[in-house]
Amino acid sequence: MAIRDTLKKLTEAYGPSGEEENVRSMIRDMLNDQVDQIFEDNLGNLFAIRKGQKLKVMVSAHMDEIGVIVTHIDENGFLRIAPVGGISPRLLIGQRLRFNNELIGTVYHEKLKELKELDWPKIYLDIGADDLETAKKLVKIGDLACLDQPFKEQREGRYLAKAMDDRAGCAILVEVINRLPAELPHEVCFVFSVQEELGLRGAKTAAYRYEPDFGLAVDVTTVGDTPKAATMEVSLGKGPAIKVKDNSVLCHPLIRRFMVDVAEKNKIPFQYEVLTRGGTDAGAIHLSREGVPSGALSIPCRYVHTASEIVDKSDLDYAVLLLEKMLLSSWPQMEEINLR
Amino acid sequence: MNKENLIDILLELSSVAGVSGNETAALEAVRSYFDLYTDEVKLDRFGNLIALKKGEASAAEKITVALVAHVDEIGAMVTKIEPAGFLRFTPLGGLDPRVLPGQRVVVHGKKAIEGVIGATAPHHLSMQDREKSIPVEKLFIDTGYDADTLKTITGVGDTISFGQKPILLKNRKMITGKALDNRAGIAALIFCAAELAGLRHQADICFIASLQEEVGLRGAVTAAYGLKPNLAVAVDVTHGDTPGTDDKKTYKLGAGPALGVGPNFHPSLSFAMQQIAQEFNLSYQVEPIPAHSGTDAWAFQVSREGIPTALLSIPLRYMHTTVEMLCLEDLVTGSRLLARLAAKVTNSYLEELKKC
Repeated sequence: MAIRDTLKKLTEAYGPSGEEENVRSMIRDMLNDQVDQIFEDNLGNLFAIRKGQKLKVMVSAHMDEIGVIVTHIDENGFLRIAPVGGISPRLLIGQRLRFNNELIGTVYHEKLKELKELDWPKIYLDIGADDLETAKKLVKIGDLACLDQPFKEQREGRYLAKAMDDRAGCAILVEVINRLPAELPHEVCFVFSVQEELGLRGAKTAAYRYEPDFGLAVDVTTVGDTPKAATMEVSLGKGPAIKVKDNSVLCHPLIRRFMVDVAEKNKIPFQYEVLTRGGTDAGAIHLSREGVPSGALSIPCRYVHTASEIVDKSDLDYAVLLLEKMLLSSWPQMEEINLR
Repeated sequence: MNKENLIDILLELSSVAGVSGNETAALEAVRSYFDLYTDEVKLDRFGNLIALKKGEASAAEKITVALVAHVDEIGAMVTKIEPAGFLRFTPLGGLDPRVLPGQRVVVHGKKAIEGVIGATAPHHLSMQDREKSIPVEKLFIDTGYDADTLKTITGVGDTISFGQKPILLKNRKMITGKALDNRAGIAALIFCAAELAGLRHQADICFIASLQEEVGLRGAVTAAYGLKPNLAVAVDVTHGDTPGTDDKKTYKLGAGPALGVGPNFHPSLSFAMQQIAQEFNLSYQVEPIPAHSGTDAWAFQVSREGIPTALLSIPLRYMHTTVEMLCLEDLVTGSRLLARLAAKVTNSYLEELKKC
């Protein structure tokens, strides 16, 4: 399957944090016989292991996406909702939300004096129910919903969808798994993690269980190339980003250098990412047990955490190539790590 | 070791750079002292420095006491080189934008280069803007280089440390400088290690210089897990007394170290430290902390199945500025207290602690 088709399938799937099963079974089907071992843990993380010599490398992309949870149903059948992950109420007005049973609702707000009053208590979800009775047949308190937007190719090589964060990462992992040769220098455990948007929760238990020597997260990053954006030296279409820092991790200098070396050797364009907010699975992996030297490969993405996240195909392709080449290379020696 | 040695150590430790994530230079300075006073110095997988001073207990009776102080300091990271050659940056740790303009800094690129944090002159500001502090995103660093030359030396992701040189004040009691949060704690560990040379101790004493505390106690998380100590004391700084602050939330310089009490600490260990201070006539202050202490103690306490943890803090004025100030006497007293506690710990002492 071309990465475009994988991405379309994965981004359109339903999978807010805590309810990742649709995405998980989709990925499981895609991987089929491509790995030596495939299993799930108690939290729902999907592990796909390719055996190899020497060290253990964990590569993680999260399956979950931001969404909402139903907190109240009123007598006229309107729902009140709360965020699951970092989602802004302002970006929901007029959006359609989809429940796991395909039920669609749309978000609007109460009468407001000023736009700045707009907050979670002021918005509601209309699912087409006329009263409490009908609404209760369709949903219950605690049900989750995700954004409902189809995948679009804006122009050739420019993809627009919900949940690029982090189905783009998942698609890259699937693609790399398909491309890896029979023999690998190191064992690689691909983890499709859960609940990243709620605080890197899946990656935490996955890293504890797998006990890797090295960690790598593959996730999206924000960019600084839009009108009057916050200062950030990452642009769409200039290659994947090698993370230096975000709020969850200061990437290990040796892993960073290793990533740069592999990119330069293979003439893969890349950018350095200093993200001033947000985190990624590497934040949980690098603090697992006695510490796991970790890095992160990021896909430049515009409008992260909205219904229309945009990525560029060339960044995806180069990210696949960089990850593939990394997994075929020798990772830094543990002695170097210990001597740092 | 005497107070004069301590002055030299503090002046050196305050001068070296060691921003969170780039602590190498600071660690080398720290290592040179622990090489003198401990049996074994190593770095763990995360990069935390662990210096072991072996105790007298047999292998069967082995106990480990961890004394932990973070070695990293607040600083910044380059986010952009502007076409005109100015550097934009983002904080590493809790920078206070009010005190940034006018600071000298060192940018740690391919080589270390000096610069200043510049800002618009007051003449060019409206009366309103003169009253406000400038957000970090609007500040910039001027190294004198043009953008093309700068790009050959530095780039996005390089760390930035402060350039303020420390001084011993004329009263010879106080030191002021950058990064005393928490090189003060590190100096206390070194002084404590030296003190222990003259004391017998059963427990193995592990001195930990932890990394990345200022960005979220990260080094302490892995150090605590890896070391599995039976008891831990975090050594850090707390707020000193200054005009305009609530004296219930600040601690007097020169009145001894502050000993934390509250849910972040093992109650009988906190109490035991106060008792030891009284026993050896060491002055101390009590610091009630209702929740998260904001120190490595928070990470240690809940590592694995839980570690009895305490906190000893050196009162420090002007925290997170480049003119942090402390009183040497507090450091000496604090170190002695740590040494006395470390020397007291045996298996039966640990059992006693658990009973209360």
